[in-house]
Amino acid sequence: MTSRQFLLIVAIAQGMLFVALVILIILNRWIRLRRRAKVNPRQIELDAVMQRWALGQASQDEVLRALARLPVPIAIDALVTWSARVASERWQELSRGLESQWWARAVRANSRSARWWKRLDCARFLSVAATPRDIGRVRQLLRDPHPAVELAAATTLERVDSPVLVAAALDQLPFLGPTVQAYYASVLKRARPAVLRHLQHLFRRQGDPRLPRIVEFAGRLEEPVLREPFTTLATHPEAEVRTQVARALGKFPHAESVAALGFLVQDEAWPVRAQAARSLGMIADPSTLPALREALRDTEWWVRLRAALALTRFGAGGRNALLEAEVGPHAEARDMAGLVLGLSLQALSEYAA
Amino acid sequence: MSHLIQASDVIILAYFLALNTIYALLLVLSIPEIWEQTRLAEDEDFQRLMQSDALPPITILVPAYNESATIEASVTAILTLEYRTFEVVVVNDGSKDDTLERLRHAFDLYEVPRTYPETISTQALRGVYRSRTRTRLLVIDKENGGKADSLNAAINASRFPLVIAADADTLIEPDALLRLTRPFLLGRRIAAVGGTVRVANSCTVQDGRVTDARVPRRFLPGIQVVEYLRAFLFGRLGWNRLGGSLVISGAFGLFRKEYLIAVGGYHTTSVVEDLDLVVRLHRHLRREKVRYEIPFIPDPVAWTEVPETGLVLGRQRERWHRGLIAAMWEYKGMLFNPRYGRVGLLAVPFYTLGEMLAPVVEVLGYVITGLGAAFGVINMSFALLFVLVAWGYGMLLSLWAVVLEEVSFRRYRRPGDLARLLLYAVLETLGYRQRTVWWRLRAFFTLRTQRRVWGEMTRKGFATS
Repeated sequence: MTSRQFLLIVAIAQGMLFVALVILIILNRWIRLRRRAKVNPRQIELDAVMQRWALGQASQDEVLRALARLPVPIAIDALVTWSARVASERWQELSRGLESQWWARAVRANSRSARWWKRLDCARFLSVAATPRDIGRVRQLLRDPHPAVELAAATTLERVDSPVLVAAALDQLPFLGPTVQAYYASVLKRARPAVLRHLQHLFRRQGDPRLPRIVEFAGRLEEPVLREPFTTLATHPEAEVRTQVARALGKFPHAESVAALGFLVQDEAWPVRAQAARSLGMIADPSTLPALREALRDTEWWVRLRAALALTRFGAGGRNALLEAEVGPHAEARDMAGLVLGLSLQALSEYAA
Repeated sequence: MSHLIQASDVIILAYFLALNTIYALLLVLSIPEIWEQTRLAEDEDFQRLMQSDALPPITILVPAYNESATIEASVTAILTLEYRTFEVVVVNDGSKDDTLERLRHAFDLYEVPRTYPETISTQALRGVYRSRTRTRLLVIDKENGGKADSLNAAINASRFPLVIAADADTLIEPDALLRLTRPFLLGRRIAAVGGTVRVANSCTVQDGRVTDARVPRRFLPGIQVVEYLRAFLFGRLGWNRLGGSLVISGAFGLFRKEYLIAVGGYHTTSVVEDLDLVVRLHRHLRREKVRYEIPFIPDPVAWTEVPETGLVLGRQRERWHRGLIAAMWEYKGMLFNPRYGRVGLLAVPFYTLGEMLAPVVEVLGYVITGLGAAFGVINMSFALLFVLVAWGYGMLLSLWAVVLEEVSFRRYRRPGDLARLLLYAVLETLGYRQRTVWWRLRAFFTLRTQRRVWGEMTRKGFATS
C-alpha cells in the first residue's frame, strides 16, 4: 500500500467517524428527551404517593409499587431524598417492606459486584434502607476499595445501631484522610453509646499510632464521660496527642481540665501551647490569667496570638492584661497586644472561630 | 535540495503521527474518566455528603486590578457561594481606577491592623480592611506588583488550609466549591484540583450567576467555546490518567496552602503564573517524595469572558505561549527525567515538544510543502491530501469534545447552540487554527524583549438580564 492510499483510507475513515459522531450527538439528545418524557411522570407519581404515605393516607404497598416502576438509580435517589423527610419508625417499616422487592434484592446482590458503580448503588440503597440482616454487607462495603462506596456505606451508621459496624468504622478512622475522618466523625456521633464504649477501650492503648486521630475524633463528641481519659492523656509522650487533648479540654469547663491546660500551656511543642492557650480562653477561668500573660511573651507568634485572643474572653481582667502588655517591656508581647486590641468585635469573633 | 525537503517532510510526518497518537490516547483515556466523574457528579447522595461540616474551610483569593466595572458584582457573587466555611480575600493591586472605593462603598469596609506574618514577600501593603456587612470578606490594598504578587499577598492573609485563586472577572457557579472539594471527601492526597472554565460571552448573567448558557453567534468568542471544551473536557481529563496535568487554570483552581508556601508562592516574573506554579508544585512534591495528586474534575464550573477581537485574542495567546516557552526552559531539567516520574517522562515532554514546538513545526510544514510544490519535489495532490487529513483530525478532536459535553454536562440546551457548536468544531481548523499558530509563533520572537509583558486586555463586561 502506498502512502497516498494510506492517507486516503485515513481521510475516508475520518469522514465516516465525523458523520458517526454527529449522529451520536443527535441520537443522544433524542434518547434523553424520550427517557425524560417517560420517567418524569413516574417520578411525580412516586412523590405524590410518598407524600400521602408519610401523612398516613396511602399504603406501603402503593409506595413499593411506585418505586418498582422507576429505573433503579432513580428509585434509590428518591429513597435517599425521602428518607430525610419521613419519621424513623415509619421509614423502618418501609425498609422491611423493601426486603421482599425483587429490584431491592438485585441491588443488595450488587454488594459483591466487580463494578464500583453497582456497589455504590448498593451502598447508597443500604444507607437508607438497611435492616439488621444487612450488617455483614455494610461491613464489607465499609472496606470497599472505591472511596465513594466506602463513604456511602459509612452513612448507614446514621440509621443502623450496630456495635459491630461502629467498631469497624472506628478501627478504620485513623487511616482515613482528614476530610473523610471528619465525615465519619459526624456520622458516628449519632451512634453515641456504642462509640463511647469502643473509644474508652481504644484510649487504653497508649502506644497505638492511631491514638492522635482517635483523640481528635473523641474531642468532637464533647462527651463528659471522656473528660477524665483526656486529662490522663495530657502527659502522653506524643505531641500530636497532647495537641488534640489540649483542643478537646477547652470544651470541658472543669477544675481538672484547667489544671491539665495550665500544664499544657507550658509544653515544649508550640502547637500544644497554642491550642492550650485557646482552650484556656474558651473556659475563661480567672485563675489562669497569669499563665496566659506568660504565653503572651511566648517565642512563637501563633502562641502569642492565641494567648492574646484568649485574654479578650476574660472581660476586664483580660483587657487589663493586654493593656499592660501594650505598654510593657516585652516588644513582641507589646506588638501582639496592640494588634489584638485594635481588632473590632466582629474581627475578634471571626478569629476566635 | 530535494533530499532536504523530502527528509524534512518525513520528520514532520513522524512528528504529526507522534503528536496525534498522544491526542488519540488522551481521547481514549478521557472516556472512562468522564464516565466516573459524571457518575459521581450526578450522585445526589454525594451532594448531601458534600454539604456536611466535614469539608475543609477554603479561602478564595481574588486579585483585582482596574476592575471597577465588575468588582462589586463579582465579589457579591463569590460571597454567596454554597459552602459552609469560606472567606474571600480581595487584593486591590494598586488599581489606577476606583476599584477600592467601589469595594469600600459596596461592602462598608473599615480598616483593621494586619494580624498575620508575611510568609511570602510582596509589594508593600497600604491597608487591610474588613466589611461591616460581609464578615467573610477581607480586602487588602497594596502597591502594584502584578497578579502573582497579589495572589501571594492574599495567601499571606488567608486563614484556611485550602485556597482558590479566582479572577475578579470570573463567575464561579454557586455549587462549584462543593464540587471542587469532592476529591478530598474521596480521601485522595490532593495537592491541587482544577475545575472547568467556560466561556461566558453571550450567556445571560443575573446577580453574578450565569442563568442561561449560550454559544456566542460571533465567530471569535464562539470558536473559543469549542476550544475551551476541548482543552478541559478531554485534554485535562485524559491527563488525569497519565500522571496529572501541568496546568490548572489561573481563573479557577484549588490548592493546598502548605504546598504553595513551600514552593514560595506564585512567581512574579512569570506571565502564565498558573502553569509555572503547577510545574513547580510537581517538581517540589516529586523531589520531596510526597504522595500527591493534581487532578482535574470537570463539573465545578467557572465562567469567564474571552476576547472578542483578533487583536486582544492574539495578545492573550502570544502571552500564554511566551509563558509556556519560559516555563519549559526554566524547568528543562524535568524533561525526560525519571526522577519526576510520569510528569517528567510524559507531561513535560508533551508540553515541550508537542504544545511548545507545534506552531514551529506546523509553519515549517506549510513552508516546506510550498517549497516542495514549487520545486516539483513533492506530489501536490499528496500534499493536499496530507493537509486534509491533518485538518480532519483537528476537526474530529473538537467534535469529540462536543460529544463529551453532550453525554455529560449538556450546558447548552438549545438546538441552535448545539448546531453552532458543531459548526465551530468544523470551522476551527479552517483559518482560525492558522491564526493561533501565527500568534503562538510570535511568542518565540517576543520572548526576549517582552518576557514580562502581559499586554492590555479589554473586557466588555457581562450582559445582565
